[in-house]
Amino acid sequence: MVFPSIEFAIFFPIVLVLSWALMPRHAQWKAFAIVASYAFYAAANWKFCFLLGAVTLLNHGGAVLVHRSDDDRRRKHIVAATVTLDLLLLGVFKYYGFFVEDVNGLLDHVGLSLPLPVAQIALPVGISFFTFQAITYIVDVYRRLVEPASLVDAAVYLSFFPHLVAGPIVRASEFIPQLAKPRNPSRVALGAAMTLIVAGLVKKVGIADTLAREIVDPVFAVPEQYGTWDVLLAGYAYAAQIYCDFSGYTDMAIGLALLMGFRFPQNFDRPYRAASFREFWRRWHMTLSRFLRDYLYIPLGGNRGSRWFMVRNLMLTMLLGGLWHGAAITFVIWGGLHGLYLVAERALEWLGTRRPNVWVRRLIVFHGVVLAWVLFRSSSLDVAGTFIGRLAHPAAAQLWSPLVLALVIGVLAVQLAPERPLARLRIRFESLQPAMLGAALAVTVLVVAATVSSQGVPPFIYFRF
Amino acid sequence: MTTIDLATTPRRHARDAIVAIGLAAVLLVAAAGGSIRKQGDEMRPGLLRDVVRAVGAPAGWVADRLPIHEVVHDTTAFLSPDANLSGGKGAFGGGAISVARGAGAAIPAISADDFDLSAIGAAPKPTRKLRTLLVTGDSLPMPLDSILARRLSSKGVKTTRDPHVGTGLSKSELLDWGKLSVRQAKTQPDAVVVFIGANEGFDMHTAVGKRVVCCGIDWAVEYATRARAMMSVYRRGGAGRVYWLTVPTPRDSARAEVERLVNQSLTVAAAPYRAQVHVLDTVPILTPGDHFRTAMTIGDRQRIVREPDGIHLNDTGSGIAADLVVEALRKDFVLP
Repeated sequence: MVFPSIEFAIFFPIVLVLSWALMPRHAQWKAFAIVASYAFYAAANWKFCFLLGAVTLLNHGGAVLVHRSDDDRRRKHIVAATVTLDLLLLGVFKYYGFFVEDVNGLLDHVGLSLPLPVAQIALPVGISFFTFQAITYIVDVYRRLVEPASLVDAAVYLSFFPHLVAGPIVRASEFIPQLAKPRNPSRVALGAAMTLIVAGLVKKVGIADTLAREIVDPVFAVPEQYGTWDVLLAGYAYAAQIYCDFSGYTDMAIGLALLMGFRFPQNFDRPYRAASFREFWRRWHMTLSRFLRDYLYIPLGGNRGSRWFMVRNLMLTMLLGGLWHGAAITFVIWGGLHGLYLVAERALEWLGTRRPNVWVRRLIVFHGVVLAWVLFRSSSLDVAGTFIGRLAHPAAAQLWSPLVLALVIGVLAVQLAPERPLARLRIRFESLQPAMLGAALAVTVLVVAATVSSQGVPPFIYFRF
Repeated sequence: MTTIDLATTPRRHARDAIVAIGLAAVLLVAAAGGSIRKQGDEMRPGLLRDVVRAVGAPAGWVADRLPIHEVVHDTTAFLSPDANLSGGKGAFGGGAISVARGAGAAIPAISADDFDLSAIGAAPKPTRKLRTLLVTGDSLPMPLDSILARRLSSKGVKTTRDPHVGTGLSKSELLDWGKLSVRQAKTQPDAVVVFIGANEGFDMHTAVGKRVVCCGIDWAVEYATRARAMMSVYRRGGAGRVYWLTVPTPRDSARAEVERLVNQSLTVAAAPYRAQVHVLDTVPILTPGDHFRTAMTIGDRQRIVREPDGIHLNDTGSGIAADLVVEALRKDFVLP
């Protein structure tokens, strides 16, 4: 069930009313939240509810054992075993099909005819997100940042439907304390929630899907058929599309949670205004960036030790971050490329190179990011190579249109524009009366629905991850 | 989006949130209740469809009695990316296709078009170059369309990809393939590759308004009639060539039953046009014995050929389907 769908439009108002009606009876509310979230997840494939349940039981059991133990070695072993099992589950469901053919080829090559069964395993929606959240739970308990929650609270945390399938990656220490007492019904950030939902709908349905349909999908499918101008615009358009698609989803997720009285962390902060790659990662998919920093980069050693040690840690973190996105070599290289960018940036700092003007730096970073997006979007390295090669093939533009140009320029301009006028506009919208906010939401839905093609709303890009 | 400052944002009571969402829901029912009903009718059977239909029926009833829907439609029509390709109940082709539905009792005449000349060794050597190719269907031709486009691009072939995800010949209310095929044929492609059938099994209405329920012989007759109408449009009186792929057996047995009927209907539909319309049977290659399989031996290795959904072909499977299409194209066209 995707947010911009009729099914969800029926589901959510019912859940919202029941949620606030049950909120004073907190235990009943928690049971209801679990049932509603599992129903939401079951709409995609009910069988995977068992997987979500198993991940919850596994990590909650691990967290309780870690908390009860005073022996540091034993605590470490428990957390290592639990995280290994989490990653094993993720590996089987997400990467088995990717590796099995190659592993079998390798076994044949070395004369070991012990083929692994070649099977295509269905990818449970959101597995990468809820597995990472489960890891934050057990690790935060291990680090004594949170106490283990009750099983019910852990189940609410891991299954809560606004963040279940594509984040943001909410840490246990951010969410579980919000379950300690009923949410205050007189403190709902209604204006902010509706602003986020409206903005998310426009970004996803109005902008991202239009760009995908008009230019991105045709060019990335067969770059051979297009020349410099189309390929160039498709590259920029994909940068705008993926931002609007993913941040649009996140805006809606955060807005829906706010309506239910919960607060999620911010996930995007105008990433294309970044003047360094380090800054880009502080603005893009912020909850993944801090997960990789706190649960991978720092445990690997982080900035401690020699420069080479740090370079190794950076590259490992970014390569694994790339692999997290999907079982394909293009994602690994995308992560590796960002790793190289970060290393190059550090190297320039170590050399004491003079930094150019902030706008020049923004331009460089943006184009580095766009180049990496080409790998991210391409179905194979071959397609990515052809796409880049076609930049040197001047030909008449076939897919340029005022609409596409306006959307790409608009998305980038909003990121670069000064914050204050936009904030003023947002605050004015947030302050509208509830009836006006409801009417604004209805009008937005009707307008963006008119831009949907006969094929309906395509799934969010990050649903695949 | 600028950063929301939750410390300063106005706070309201939960009741206001319910009012806002409730008002939005009421306005949407009034303005688009018919769409909810339509969506419910186009969904696959199951609990979710029952729920959407249960809401859609009264919502549609309300919307039908209010003029808001028309105002909204007229106001936002300019934003729509599609030409009007939706059909009503029983509509197929919007009267644009002239096909003999239920011809009379006379014995139909046999013509050269009825024969696949290559099958009887009478096909002349192809002399015509393939210049334009259209690859269309539902979600099944993805990624077959881009594989074909990329393979043929170096041979000077301009490929147009036109997949319509979630559509079907038996689902004409959202998108009427009769109308769409007429529009597609206006671009006069030399050859058309059609791969469709992942979303079939819906009840249809015949041209005379009779409802045919899946999946009996009446349903197959209507499906074949629709497919034949499209084949007739795509072949453009013999100027175009059509390559229609059958649907490889899916994992789900209920779906497999529908696909068997779809595939059989295609063979029947193509019968009068065998000189120009080739039904390319993927079943013996990808699912021999009509049994679903995830992987198959290619070279000396087991390779996965299906997507995890058990319906679609992955890149490897689509590559095999592309081989089949290119081989068929070579019989009709010069391909360097």
